[in-house]
Amino acid sequence: MHPALQGVITIIVGVGGCVAYFYFSNLFLDKVLYPARGPNAGRNINRANLIRPWLFLAPAVIALGLYLAYPVVETLRLSLTNRVPGGGYEWAGLENYSQMVADPKFGEALFNNMLWLFVVPALSTAFGLLAAQLTDRIKWGAVAKSIIFMPMAISFVGAAVIWKLVYDYRAAGEEQIGVLNAIVVSLGGEPTAWLTVPFWNNFFLMAVLIWIQTGFAMVILSAALRGIPEETVEAAIVDGANPFQIFFKIKVPQIMGTIVVVWTTITIVVLKIFDIVFAMTNGQWETQVLANYMYDKLFRANDWGVGSASAMVIMLLVTPILVWNVYNARKEMR
Amino acid sequence: MKHTIKSSCAVLALMSGPALAEQITVAGPWIGADEEHVQAVLGAFAEASGHDVRYTGSDSFEQQIVIDAEAGSAPNVAVFPQPGLAAVMAERGFLTPLAEGTGDWINENYAAGQSWVDLGTYAGPDGSDALYGFFYKVDVKSLVWYIPENFEDAGYEVPETLEELKALSQQIADDGETPWCIGLGSGGATGWPATDWVEDMMLRTQPPSVYDQWVSNEIPFTDPAVVGAIEAFGEFALNDAWVSGGTGAVATTDFRESPKGLFDAPPACYMHKQASFIPSFFPEGSEVGEDVDFFYFPASGEGDLGQPVLGAGTVWAITNDSPAAHELIEFLKTPEAHEIWMARKGFLTPHKGVNLDAFSDPTLRKMNDILLGATTFRFDASDLMPGAVGAGSFWTGMVDYVGGKDVGTVTSEIQQSWDAAK
Repeated sequence: MHPALQGVITIIVGVGGCVAYFYFSNLFLDKVLYPARGPNAGRNINRANLIRPWLFLAPAVIALGLYLAYPVVETLRLSLTNRVPGGGYEWAGLENYSQMVADPKFGEALFNNMLWLFVVPALSTAFGLLAAQLTDRIKWGAVAKSIIFMPMAISFVGAAVIWKLVYDYRAAGEEQIGVLNAIVVSLGGEPTAWLTVPFWNNFFLMAVLIWIQTGFAMVILSAALRGIPEETVEAAIVDGANPFQIFFKIKVPQIMGTIVVVWTTITIVVLKIFDIVFAMTNGQWETQVLANYMYDKLFRANDWGVGSASAMVIMLLVTPILVWNVYNARKEMR
Repeated sequence: MKHTIKSSCAVLALMSGPALAEQITVAGPWIGADEEHVQAVLGAFAEASGHDVRYTGSDSFEQQIVIDAEAGSAPNVAVFPQPGLAAVMAERGFLTPLAEGTGDWINENYAAGQSWVDLGTYAGPDGSDALYGFFYKVDVKSLVWYIPENFEDAGYEVPETLEELKALSQQIADDGETPWCIGLGSGGATGWPATDWVEDMMLRTQPPSVYDQWVSNEIPFTDPAVVGAIEAFGEFALNDAWVSGGTGAVATTDFRESPKGLFDAPPACYMHKQASFIPSFFPEGSEVGEDVDFFYFPASGEGDLGQPVLGAGTVWAITNDSPAAHELIEFLKTPEAHEIWMARKGFLTPHKGVNLDAFSDPTLRKMNDILLGATTFRFDASDLMPGAVGAGSFWTGMVDYVGGKDVGTVTSEIQQSWDAAK
């Protein structure tokens, strides 16, 4: 069968199936289970209305359970068991966790993740806020914003490839094709293999994510800045506030909630960071991060116990921030 | 030979029969030029059998095959560059044993047949040994590539011993040139070319029995023998004057890009140590044997370790059982399957029944001579170690070592990961 035809059929079956589910289940509830007629009509209507939300929620709940809850439970189980040849499992308790903690690479990954966590959300939000403020009232602001926002459209791996070229290294004396080394050499410096300089190479990797996420922060914060009541700013001007005071004492406090949401959203992205590290250094030269460590254990070392244990660590770290993020976002919406 | 004819007849009979055309998927590590080569071989199989053969190459094959197998969507046939990984997969029950008699066939038709059978035999999920892997396409690793013209111009001689090789390197450096191009970059597999260096150094500084103990973890990575081999590699890679771009460039240069330095004018380097497959990555139109040539990575002139040769090979295994998968393995037994790739680049075979005139250039024959002239042949150690080590900490450890980390720290980290490997 032609793939396009298969696609069309899939769409028809999928969409039709969903519509049919809601239509017929609703019909069944109203006409068969609790019909709104006869002696119990009133009670039946109330009962049907109690059940209806669950009926409509059911597909989402089942899908979420299948794609979110089940993997979490399964990962927890894998992290507490060891494989035995032939496909069986044996209970290992916390052995995988203690083994992971003893692994120096895990410590390195944890440290680097913390570093990412401090630097990337802070700088992305700050740059985003700066860009939002500076482009707010100028004629070519929209153009500037589009350019800053554009990296958002590039995949992480694509961005990593672009920046790998920026950091590219050729021996001294050869023509430098990496922008950074080309600049350094033209200023009379020595070319450096940037990605192999321990500790600092973490920051070179972070630059990629900051480059991507600044656009996101800018768009959200720019909308928040527009939402500030003009009167408060005007009042400040009348009172003789200078631009810095207007920005830091009037505008920023009023959009604090949005800043927190942007900050925490980027924090969650950072905790899951994998693609950039994988594509640029693969965790070598002391740039390992948790998600890449997990991948390394799962698929290179074939160690499902420790790999799942590190996945649980990432989840535990993300969860509180996620909860806080959702709480703040809801508060913003009210 | 009679057996070859018989089995080829059997294949033909299988293929010419009213066999239903099946779709068969093959996954392997070859991309780029090598992908074209393997496509040519598989194309011949498709034509002979009528099956729809689909090859997918990936430069992170080692991870992809594990994901696919765990997800239950493995290809029919997988081409493992590492027997170590194939052994793990066999233990987990993801591989199907090859047809009865395949072992006997290899024994009769491959040079040093028993060793290839041993390298393809793993313990299955129930713990009993069976033949799972069929070696097809072998590489010799103990080779140094050079441009004869450059050597002539500068008046350098091909070294006969390891000591002469070091003296030559120093001489080139003294002349203000750079002796070596070394590149360890390989995407997610960055670091593996260094393991080849260490293995070759191991064979040149220690008797083969020590090498075997190392592979099976009977001596730890921190053993002076291993440390010595790593440091022997460091003599080359950690010497800024000896490597193109200095030590800093070693780990970041892609191994596929690295040999291009030989062809620069003026040359960025004079020598490049790499396996027999590397001509696939030489600049378009360069003729091996004329524009570029190789010599045996020489053994030490002192001591009595003979002429050790390091090699490797890809092992084909059935990851998703189907009649067509077995037919493909049968096809690999035919001389034709070997001659197609022999006529191209970067292919060696231990198959005794092939027509050696099929080699695209006489230099591949010279490689075979190196293989045959070896007093010791050992399989790539990192490919035999558990994945966590041979395709993990050994690679990253070498990158760290080249990056300036202390050899003691590196080796104890690698040993630690081996102790933790399951």
